[in-house]
Amino acid sequence: MKANGVTGAAPAAWLAIAGLVLVVAVPFIAVVLQGIFPNLGQGSFSGPFSSLFATLADSALIGMAGNTLLLGGCVVLASAVVAVPLGVFRALYRIPYAPFWDVVLLVPFMIPPYIATLGWIMTLQPRGYLQQLVGFNLAPFLFSLFGMTLVMAFNTFPVVYFAVSRTVEAVGSRYADVGRVFGATPARAFWRITLPLSAPGLAASLMLVFAAAIEEYGTPAALGRRAGFQVLVTGIDLRITDWPIDLPGAAILSLLLVAMSLVTFLAQRWILSRRSYQTVGGKPTAKDKRPLGALKVPVMIAFAVVAFLATGVPLLAILATALSRTISGGLSLGNLSLNNFILVFGNSAGAVGALVNSFSLGIATALITGLIGVTAAYTVVKTRMRGRMTIDVMTILPNALPGIVVAVGLILAWNMPWLPATPYNTAFILLLAYCCILLPQPVRYTTAAFQQIGDNLEAAARVFGASGITAFRRILLPLVFPSLASAMLLVFALASRELVASVVVAPVGMQTIATFIWRQFEQGSIGLGMAMAFIAIVITTLLPLLLLTLLRRSGLVAE
Amino acid sequence: MLKSLKGITFGVVAAALMAGVAHADVTVYTAGPQSLIDKLSAGFTKQTGIKVNVFQATTGKVMARIEAEAANPVVDVLVSASWDTATDFAKRGWLVKYSSPNAAKVPDFLKTDSAVAQGISALGIAWNTKSGTPKPTEWADLTKKEYKDLVNIPDPAQSGSSFELTAALAGQDSFKLFNDLKANGAIIAGANADALNPVLQGAKAAVFGAVDYITLAAKAKGESIDVIFPASGTVIAPRPAMILNWSKNQDDAKKFIDYMLSDEGQKAVADEMLMPARTDIPANRPLISDLKLLKYDTAAVYGKRKETLAEITKIYGGK
Repeated sequence: MKANGVTGAAPAAWLAIAGLVLVVAVPFIAVVLQGIFPNLGQGSFSGPFSSLFATLADSALIGMAGNTLLLGGCVVLASAVVAVPLGVFRALYRIPYAPFWDVVLLVPFMIPPYIATLGWIMTLQPRGYLQQLVGFNLAPFLFSLFGMTLVMAFNTFPVVYFAVSRTVEAVGSRYADVGRVFGATPARAFWRITLPLSAPGLAASLMLVFAAAIEEYGTPAALGRRAGFQVLVTGIDLRITDWPIDLPGAAILSLLLVAMSLVTFLAQRWILSRRSYQTVGGKPTAKDKRPLGALKVPVMIAFAVVAFLATGVPLLAILATALSRTISGGLSLGNLSLNNFILVFGNSAGAVGALVNSFSLGIATALITGLIGVTAAYTVVKTRMRGRMTIDVMTILPNALPGIVVAVGLILAWNMPWLPATPYNTAFILLLAYCCILLPQPVRYTTAAFQQIGDNLEAAARVFGASGITAFRRILLPLVFPSLASAMLLVFALASRELVASVVVAPVGMQTIATFIWRQFEQGSIGLGMAMAFIAIVITTLLPLLLLTLLRRSGLVAE
Repeated sequence: MLKSLKGITFGVVAAALMAGVAHADVTVYTAGPQSLIDKLSAGFTKQTGIKVNVFQATTGKVMARIEAEAANPVVDVLVSASWDTATDFAKRGWLVKYSSPNAAKVPDFLKTDSAVAQGISALGIAWNTKSGTPKPTEWADLTKKEYKDLVNIPDPAQSGSSFELTAALAGQDSFKLFNDLKANGAIIAGANADALNPVLQGAKAAVFGAVDYITLAAKAKGESIDVIFPASGTVIAPRPAMILNWSKNQDDAKKFIDYMLSDEGQKAVADEMLMPARTDIPANRPLISDLKLLKYDTAAVYGKRKETLAEITKIYGGK
């Protein structure tokens, strides 16, 4: 880390590379090696490539790969349909109670997907909460590709909503107004000017949704299996957890997933590289938004319906289950009980320890991924360094690595007998796992933000004598900070509920929120698990909000 | 920025050094219920002063961890939920031969020279008593029209005991029962807990082959659910405990096995609604002597595992 103050790029780039090697390359290479050398776990390099053909010749593979792509595509489409109109209205118009809607639409992020899915199942299945309330159920509709798509889209659409509303807002109406001056209709100005200029944020967020959808385990496992819908991740999980364990097969299937994610990433890069998206040029932008006018009622209804389905239904189902004395007792006053919440706060089965563990890990993960993310994005977008494409690709790799494979990769890498010291079997292995899985979030968000900042801003600072580091710290960092901060809050929320990797890699004797909930479910204590889930959702929602408010007061964040 | 990186590096190194310091605790990997291992390790530490490190997950995830760690294993004692693990590990030569003095009252079929049962679970029909269906008494009852679309089957690919039940029953009538169940709208519904949850809420009336102790514990909590062990026979799943030969604390590991089989340890097992391995420990639930067990050849059944699962997949479609 010798900075020497020669250029601005060098320290940032070295920091990014060091972080990426530790967090991404080490487990990824372990997974690749495992795919090639089946006996790597025993420390042997015998029989290279012997698993490759057996795995790829599996007749079920084409079906699983096709289903994975189909599900990913459907979820992206559904998320875009739900989120883009809302995001655009939020950015360009004065929406009544806008901060309220932002918070409500943030909550689906905080609901772990497996919990949301369970909430939907308990609501829609026969004799579920819907039937107990209104007398009919929607089970056939839930256990299908359609149901899976909706449940997953309601979970991921906030990524698109916030990306679109932020980028469209940054583009502002100024460019569209220029179009209007030259005679374009409002619709034409929007389609030809505002929307294309917002493409970096939109494309980045859709890509994150796609990667999240093909990597998601809980929902396809719970809903898809019944519909006979097997995806790659469920296939990987079966290989890892079904004795005799097939780690090489799982590694090969994971690499297939990574390849899918990489192709979408390259497509996104190709689309964006064809033109410039710089809209933040240092010129003042008019921040005033238009009134909704006659659109007020339909837009409000759209916000309310989406908020109810994405946030209301899962939260109410979770709360109803947590407040039930017994599940079979159903929704009745006599069955109402605070017992599950009392058990959580009474530290039953280590609940409080799990909360503390998860939140500390979440904060540490947010800080580390934010640091690596902003330096990596800066290096990729704003420098002409050789090999910056490699950095960019490395930041995308974990996007499609299923959590359980990251966990196995980490164990393989850090449990080598010749290592003099290792983070394995300490909390740091969880930190490494979370950083690896979540690193793509801050990178993608800040990359999109950097792409919108004109090069002349940094150049101007350098002309006036600022060092590279000063220009970065005083000019660029504040400009990308809103994107970086929201990405870090997202990382915090996601890290504090990560399940699949945590279950496998957690050091002995350590619980996190997700492993606690999962153990309760495994033992049939659904109510206790749901009470914990509810508390975790409330805290992961309120903590970032509190932080943002404080930051705003101190003037660090503009809006 | 640089400062924080330094901080992080320092932290990682410090933690790594700490991890390198050897400690003489016993490390137990278990597929059993968390509350049971919590009780056992607390009791063991109190009695011997030896600390216990626990990793608890499903049998599959425990195995995945052992497999990934194989180059540098840390586990001393393994408690699996499937007897197959003990057979397989013994064949690989991974186990330490040990007969605990406390295992004298454990029946012979629940111990080998390198493994001994901690407790035993059995499979039965978990039935929601408020489901409005007649109480089933036999596996075949669930093919009757009263249970149309109301039966869940735990996935035999994800649970060792479900697999044994499936194989044993399918071997009797070459899959006729499973074809009839399918014709009656039964579905395969994930692992054990996933299959039971809809029955608690009432979406389904019964689980065909539910793990008994989870269901009995739910019943004890006041859920309207019951377990029926069909008179025609069922399967049991002894949970083998074993000491791994790479363990550096084999003496302490043996002490842990002794404690697990002591009066106190076996009482903790019984409190989890599992059958204790020792026949002289009372339990508030049906015991092995009360159950009729299906006759089948375990080795042959596991030899045809792939074929059996493929047939089930063919009947139940998808996957």
